[in-house]
Amino acid sequence: MNDDRPVPVSISPAWRRDFPYEAVSEEEVTRREFARYLVLGAGTMAAADVGLAIWTQLRTINTGEPRAIVALAAVPIGDTHLFRYPGADDPAILVRFGDTDVVAFSQKCTHLGCVVYFEANEQRWHCPCHEGNFEARTGAVVSGPPTRPLGRIDVEVRDDGQIWALGRHA
Amino acid sequence: MRASDRRRRTSSAVTLYVIVLVAFQVFLITVAVEAFQTDDERLAWATAIISVGLAGAAAAFLRYLRP
Repeated sequence: MNDDRPVPVSISPAWRRDFPYEAVSEEEVTRREFARYLVLGAGTMAAADVGLAIWTQLRTINTGEPRAIVALAAVPIGDTHLFRYPGADDPAILVRFGDTDVVAFSQKCTHLGCVVYFEANEQRWHCPCHEGNFEARTGAVVSGPPTRPLGRIDVEVRDDGQIWALGRHA
Repeated sequence: MRASDRRRRTSSAVTLYVIVLVAFQVFLITVAVEAFQTDDERLAWATAIISVGLAGAAAAFLRYLRP
């Protein structure tokens, strides 16, 4: 039997003919499901925010115990001395400005944690990673990307001729 | 405008709104980490409260989407 009726042709978009590959279940993601995934992500991030808040509330920051750092006579005026405080993984640096005029800071830049060093000519702490600069005596931000001052370490010169670190500020 | 068109536009708008909320939450994550690093408890809790509110709002918008 001769049938002259046209054979039905499935109509598909041009891109489907050019790219005739399908991923498993790619047709099954509805808009609602997509939004549900987003809400799931939003809930996860909210939980993370709450967790960070709880962690921030409950943690204790080691600000250090008073201890001797170095003999005052071992640090010439205008010179610096590297040490670790409050822990062995916390680099710190002190500079002696005068007879008993000593200041100390955490050596970690408050931008991304690079090590800062003292520039005597400019009277500032300099971070070479991103050109951050801090005021020599206060550690306040002078220029560059950091937004927070350097972590200050209280120091004093005691009668035994030693420079003591008393504690670190956050 | 036909009812089906209106529903489709509504669901598109809701999906877009949820995307904006989630994007804002990504920003809030960075704020929370910053608060953690600076030990700023008030900022950390404020961020957490806003983030929970946004997640709740995003969940509430789901009811406007067709099943």
